[in-house]
Amino acid sequence: MGRALVTLDLSVDLGRGLILDNPILVASGTFGYGVEYGEVVDVQRIGAICCKGTTLKPRAGNPPPRVTETPAGMLNSIGLQNPGVKGVLERYAPHWAGWQVPVVVNVAGESVDDYVEVARRLEGQPGIAGIELNISCPNVGKGGLQFALDPDGAGAVTAAVRAATDLPLMVKLSPAAPDVRTIARAIADAGADALSATNTLSGMAIDRRRDRPLLGNTYGGLSGPALKPVALRVVYEVAQAVRIPIVGIGGVGSLDDVLDFMAAGAVAVQVGTAVFADPTLPVRLIDELAAHCRAEGLQTHRQLVGCALPARRERPSTKGVEYLP
Amino acid sequence: MKLLSGELLESRQLLPGQWLQRFHAPWLAGGAQAGQFVHVRTPDYSGLVLRRPFSINTFDRRSGEASIHFRVTGKGTEWLARMRPGDQIEMLGPLGRGFEVDPKSRHVLLVAGGLGMAGVRALADEALADNRQVVLLFGASTAREVYPSSLLPAEVEYVVATDDGSFGHSGRVTDLVGRYEAWADQCFACGPEPMLAAMARLAATRHQRLGVARLAGRGRGRQSPRGSSVARRRAWLQVSMEQNMGCAVGACLGCVIMGTDGPQRVCREGPVFASEEIEWDARW
Repeated sequence: MGRALVTLDLSVDLGRGLILDNPILVASGTFGYGVEYGEVVDVQRIGAICCKGTTLKPRAGNPPPRVTETPAGMLNSIGLQNPGVKGVLERYAPHWAGWQVPVVVNVAGESVDDYVEVARRLEGQPGIAGIELNISCPNVGKGGLQFALDPDGAGAVTAAVRAATDLPLMVKLSPAAPDVRTIARAIADAGADALSATNTLSGMAIDRRRDRPLLGNTYGGLSGPALKPVALRVVYEVAQAVRIPIVGIGGVGSLDDVLDFMAAGAVAVQVGTAVFADPTLPVRLIDELAAHCRAEGLQTHRQLVGCALPARRERPSTKGVEYLP
Repeated sequence: MKLLSGELLESRQLLPGQWLQRFHAPWLAGGAQAGQFVHVRTPDYSGLVLRRPFSINTFDRRSGEASIHFRVTGKGTEWLARMRPGDQIEMLGPLGRGFEVDPKSRHVLLVAGGLGMAGVRALADEALADNRQVVLLFGASTAREVYPSSLLPAEVEYVVATDDGSFGHSGRVTDLVGRYEAWADQCFACGPEPMLAAMARLAATRHQRLGVARLAGRGRGRQSPRGSSVARRRAWLQVSMEQNMGCAVGACLGCVIMGTDGPQRVCREGPVFASEEIEWDARW
């Protein structure tokens, strides 16, 4: 069979040498540190693992309840519970160093200095494949305005982290930005290698038996299928504004969702909330995407990226920027 | 922990709005311990995105059967109650850490509030199989919510309290604990958090009331770390905790409660804890 001889290339270049075997990642906060699902998932096949949000100091997180189901989605308010960058490096990086799957450390902070210090400590450590910046955090130095909602803040934190590390750097956009394109441009201009889109959208639920907010922290981040149209819109807009690769996130639960994000301009996707329902989904999506590409006679999934964008536009990036040390 | 299907064998309404479902799931029944739970997948990811956790109510290794007992409280449990014998249900389990029974314990006190019965029910079977004596104290709001004694092994001494006094003792199930606290070598409780907090207060002052010396730990060179199996076995009271849950394998930190040693995952360090591991008046 002649067709079987055509090798299919599902690899993804997110810049600065971060090259993934395939475009199916798992989203921060839904897959822990990659060790928790080991008994039921072939973790090493996943394109990359974005680990739980990591801060400079350990954090206890928010009071319970921290999660609740909502129509076609869920809210979470974990509150960035994590053992701090030192704890992550001691407990998990030694595992990651022996893994085939790249682990991207998701980093959160309250000030530019926080982010920079975490990035510095991750630099050069075995097992760390890259950094994903969670910039949907209040900037204490700017009256609590989220970095992700402020082009200057988003650009400043990206530039500062860029200066502090040579690690591949992906920055996670918020769906709440009034004009996400200006934020994305500021981040790209500040030297980010890739963007992930999007983070959760702030929401709440009511406990009517007690007549009070259901979540212990009142507000939580909405994720799951309910968020997908919003995330698709962000990817679609950002793909027309920047030339760095975009990783789509928001309600990915099937091959159709993967293809939708790729059509809107994402070169890869992160599976998040759907992992809770089906931990084996990310690995299955790799196989389903490969089968789809073969059936369509494609040599790479990258041929699909941006196919729904306006024809006059340039095709979005499927390749990270060159890096010359 | 495995991710497999179980075949529904029997589904019946046990009490108003409460269902008992029996599954053929040898992989689950074979590996389960009393106090563990199973995470059941809901049917349609585009609508219901989270699995639903249920205590493993009973399990039988020989027949490969396991059961769950639940109240219909929303769309997920409504769907589950509509399932019919022969239907396949996808489950992840067994999950979490179960009850730790000290091999020397001869008298076992179980305390259940409402649906908390499902949390301790399997331990009644397990304790009897190990030739222990079992007293089960059960609390419900009213007579029509009382778990039928016919579903319990005959060897279990079953004592009921109802809030409205329509059956058994009139008052809280925790009122009954005093009668058995001297007799019981260990106590295991599952129910609403206020009930468990009341149990924890009783357990903390039990030694003073009984006027007995605390023997545990005496003469031992070092204490077992809090939360270890050994430390839990030495605790008089173990509680099965409940919290909204996401992944159920320890990844998402959605089900975390405050412990005396910091945040604890109900799905991984629990659902069973020694009562002294829990910060009952937690301030975050």
